[in-house]
Amino acid sequence: MPESSELPAWSSQFSLESLQELPLNGPLAGLSRDWAWGGSTGKGVSVAIVDSGLEYDHPRLEGQVRGGVIVEYDENAENKFRFIDDPEPQDLCGHGTACAGIIHALAPEADLWSVRVLGRDARGRAIQFAGGLNWAIEKSMQVINLSLSTGREEYYALFHQLADAAYFHRVMLISAANNIPAPCYPSLYSSVISVAAHAGHDPLTYYYNPAPPVDFGAPGIDVEVAWKDKATMTSTGNSFAAPHIAGLVALILAKHPDLTPFQVKTILVACASNVHLAPA
Amino acid sequence: MGNSPLEQENILIRQLRRLIQSIEAAGHSFLPSTDQVLLQSIVEAAARIFGAAAASIALIDESLQELVFRVAYGAGQESLPGKRIPLDQGIVGYVAMTGQPIAVSNVQQDPRFSQSFAKSTGYVPRSILATPLISGDRVIGVMEVLDKISAPSFGLQDMELLGIFAAQAAIAIQQSQQFDRIDVALINGLKAIAGDESPDLQACLDNAAQLAGTGSIEVSDLQELARLIYDFSQLDEAGRRLCIQVLRTFQDYRISRPNFLK
Repeated sequence: MPESSELPAWSSQFSLESLQELPLNGPLAGLSRDWAWGGSTGKGVSVAIVDSGLEYDHPRLEGQVRGGVIVEYDENAENKFRFIDDPEPQDLCGHGTACAGIIHALAPEADLWSVRVLGRDARGRAIQFAGGLNWAIEKSMQVINLSLSTGREEYYALFHQLADAAYFHRVMLISAANNIPAPCYPSLYSSVISVAAHAGHDPLTYYYNPAPPVDFGAPGIDVEVAWKDKATMTSTGNSFAAPHIAGLVALILAKHPDLTPFQVKTILVACASNVHLAPA
Repeated sequence: MGNSPLEQENILIRQLRRLIQSIEAAGHSFLPSTDQVLLQSIVEAAARIFGAAAASIALIDESLQELVFRVAYGAGQESLPGKRIPLDQGIVGYVAMTGQPIAVSNVQQDPRFSQSFAKSTGYVPRSILATPLISGDRVIGVMEVLDKISAPSFGLQDMELLGIFAAQAAIAIQQSQQFDRIDVALINGLKAIAGDESPDLQACLDNAAQLAGTGSIEVSDLQELARLIYDFSQLDEAGRRLCIQVLRTFQDYRISRPNFLK
């Protein structure tokens, strides 16, 4: 089977045969990886992982978890959820810790915050998710990793509002594209950075996709990740592609803290592995 | 139909009783086997298309916080259905809790993999592809395929395809669950009408039991009602609310005019 057919719709543009080599002209051609994040460790950048929680004492996170919040579904609450402070977060299943481990490996001095919206209670997920995202924006997190999404049309406007709020507050939303081409919010909005998986394994190799809605392809197939109960494992999914880009964004923001989301996206495009200086 | 109104009422109550008994005896009488057969055909198709050794669907039992395997194909086809696993265990539990699909290539080394559970089914897989079954924004279960025969593991394209299968399965399950709930609601409603506790009604029923030659008009009316309720359940939320509002208005009117139906 050719490699392209091994990848789903959102990832097929990152297969070897359909990958576009893109020329770069003008002032953007002056942007290099070294300028963008050379020497950066992500120090001091706050990164929220909206997910199943973080295992704060997981060896792969090396003590970088600063705290967090649990967003619980609550039938009686005004917004159908409530916040519980979570100073020493745990992870109910491992998914959030896996994402955090990828970010930490790239940006070892970034501060990690747990926003737990997934868990045992399989009800009310979209509204918990929205509540958690809102929390992270209001707490002025600089980078928010969203390896989850909702397909519910009735949440379209709410998440759009949150994505705009993040954009205006200079909060970078890094959103995993759904694993199937279906409505998937907030990854389909133009202001977020939407990521799908490519088949490579080098954490610094990522591709720009000029055909929206997916912006970038990063490693997501058979990735070795941290897991619940201090374990590691090999796993596959767009969920693990997004944190690769989140890690790079943390590196960029540590070095250039005043950048806006569209500037960061521009830098990511200029430094992508398939974008090259146009021949003179 | 030469019966007096009282006799007709007694006949109705008796038929209600029979209907309740038959519904309860049959379990979920209206759409039982179809649902099971459909799910079975979905897992079979999935296993064949993916070239997988086995496939299964498990649904969440929210009251017990467990997953219950409903259907399986291939390895475990006989032993798996009916088996339960807590929501926070195993790869299925992980998928149910995160709502995210996952492909695991070396299952035995996966810390989430439940060895004891797999052994209890008599089948320990190498690779697993699992995807959530989502209804609205709720995870209602997990569909998984095990051991791709032609390759050591499942890829992203498999994940995408399984997602499409899962969407289909979720619709089938959602519809049958709505029907289950309607079954229960209907039974409760019928029980209330038949008034289990009332000694007077018991006397009425005893009376009714002596009457012969009951047509089944009322039963078919109730079945028509069940069909209508089912149709209503297929509407969107606004549509359902409107139907309830219309029925409630009618009910309010009926209560305010005791002689309305006489």
